[in-house]
Amino acid sequence: MSDISLSVEPGSILGVIGPNGAGKTTLINLLTGHLAPTSGQVLIDGKDLSGSKPWDFAHAGVSRTFQIVKPFRGLSVRENVAIGAMFGPSGQKSVPASLEVADAVLDRVGMQGKAGALPSELSIADARRLELAKALAMRPRLLLLDEVMAGLRPQEIEPALALIRSLRDDGMTIIAVEHVMKAILAISDTLVVMHQGKELAKGTPAEVTSDERVISAYLGQRYAQRTREADSA
Amino acid sequence: MATPAAVDVDSPPAAESPAVGARPGGRWWAWLLAAAAAAYFYIAPIMLLDSFQRTLATVFMFAALAQGWNVIGGFTGYPSFGQHAFFGLGGYTVAVLMAKARWSFWPSLPVAIVFGALFALLVGMPVLRLRGHYFAIATLGVAEGLREIVSNLSSITGGGAGITVPAVGALATTKYPGNTAFYYLFLTLAIVSTLIVWVIARSRFGYALRAIHQDEEGAAAMGINTTRAKTAAFMISGAITSTAGALYAFQQVTVYPDNIFSVSEFTVLPVVMAVIGGTGTVLGPLGGGVALAFLSEWLRRHYTDLHIFIFGAIIMVGVIFLPEGAANSLRVIRTRRRLPFLENVRRYRL
Repeated sequence: MSDISLSVEPGSILGVIGPNGAGKTTLINLLTGHLAPTSGQVLIDGKDLSGSKPWDFAHAGVSRTFQIVKPFRGLSVRENVAIGAMFGPSGQKSVPASLEVADAVLDRVGMQGKAGALPSELSIADARRLELAKALAMRPRLLLLDEVMAGLRPQEIEPALALIRSLRDDGMTIIAVEHVMKAILAISDTLVVMHQGKELAKGTPAEVTSDERVISAYLGQRYAQRTREADSA
Repeated sequence: MATPAAVDVDSPPAAESPAVGARPGGRWWAWLLAAAAAAYFYIAPIMLLDSFQRTLATVFMFAALAQGWNVIGGFTGYPSFGQHAFFGLGGYTVAVLMAKARWSFWPSLPVAIVFGALFALLVGMPVLRLRGHYFAIATLGVAEGLREIVSNLSSITGGGAGITVPAVGALATTKYPGNTAFYYLFLTLAIVSTLIVWVIARSRFGYALRAIHQDEEGAAAMGINTTRAKTAAFMISGAITSTAGALYAFQQVTVYPDNIFSVSEFTVLPVVMAVIGGTGTVLGPLGGGVALAFLSEWLRRHYTDLHIFIFGAIIMVGVIFLPEGAANSLRVIRTRRRLPFLENVRRYRL
């Protein structure tokens, strides 16, 4: 990955799209300390965190979800979420206090009834929600979402979008990496298109989807034609 | 939302998180049983034969060793196969301080405990970067290396000829306290190490260790300083194990590198005890340690020739039919109302 520079306004949603292998997940790994940049800087609130460990990023108010969900298999859903409150930036909370935070977060993501379940007993949609709930329990200021819509059925996507929008409306800053085009267009305030580890285009969703380079590299001519037809119709 | 997979969890009383809510403490009756047993064992020596006190002291020592491994192997998921390094280090620290520096036993003991923890810190810094088999092999290598060093430093350690603690006669720095005393010392060690594990299991630290065990990358992303937590767990494990080694050296009076740095005796056996009892639980390793140490003693006495063979066969049966150990199997029976004995057979097509 090289020559990429992006910043996100507090309280807005930055969408990141690009074909497979474009470096989307690598970008998230760089922004959360799971990878260290060989050159360049990662600034969180103006503070240089390049090369810091993942927990330093977490303590600075950055939390993330993983594309391949990472539940703690032996812990209940409630305990999984409580870990976020126990060790997050607002955190260092006691175990009972963290379990209370977990209940509130599970409420918010609509998983109240599943608190006692084990992660292995969840549907794909619930496993994705658990991943989000774990991140939310940390009360982050910057939330990085790595393909939280992947594997969801169409009717499950709308509630997920509504949830993410409501988080932004609460003042949370969000960077969302997504494959599901419709979903990312619907929630992003700004959109970045990545291609082969580089930034291809940046702008509002409308600007980006009409950009010729984006169409040829990623969306394809057929998509462009379809949107043009839709526009004229 | 309809989630068929979760239905069988929700239908039995889901009110107080049946799955794992009970874990940090175990059941009250199990604790009552353990407390009653502890109380009994504190009074018992009055009625016990001297030789049986010695057997019981060994049983308690193994329970403590199983708990020591449980902290790093069971909770944290780092299968240390170098526990005999801590055991031997603790033993030799006491033996050398008493024999060469002419210290008495009591100040030597805390030094041995601190050495155990510091050695874990020193070894842990490089070795805890490895996982799974690689970690197991590296810890085994460190322990075997330490035995060689001790064997070859004859000027300090007496080398292969061993070292004798001055415990009798006019030159004794601490008089040999007798079998009853060692019985109480090892009993106390078993209880204290179980209480340490109990405190860990209920604490944030315990959650950090379990999270590391189950997904280290995910744990780090959630703000857990995984390096610090792993190292602390290894140090606690090392301290418990070196305490046992220190008591053992004094109890045996004379120790040899090949005997006190025995991988089969002081690493493999405690691992088996913790695994069969239930890793990552509070009472499992205690129960597994007591049960297997007793069984081993009993077999040794009644089947002198075949005891190792029978013991091995029983361990195999235990590992196969008690998936994730006795404590976890009991929990499955209680909370899920099914018998898990054939789960391993099905899962691994045995």
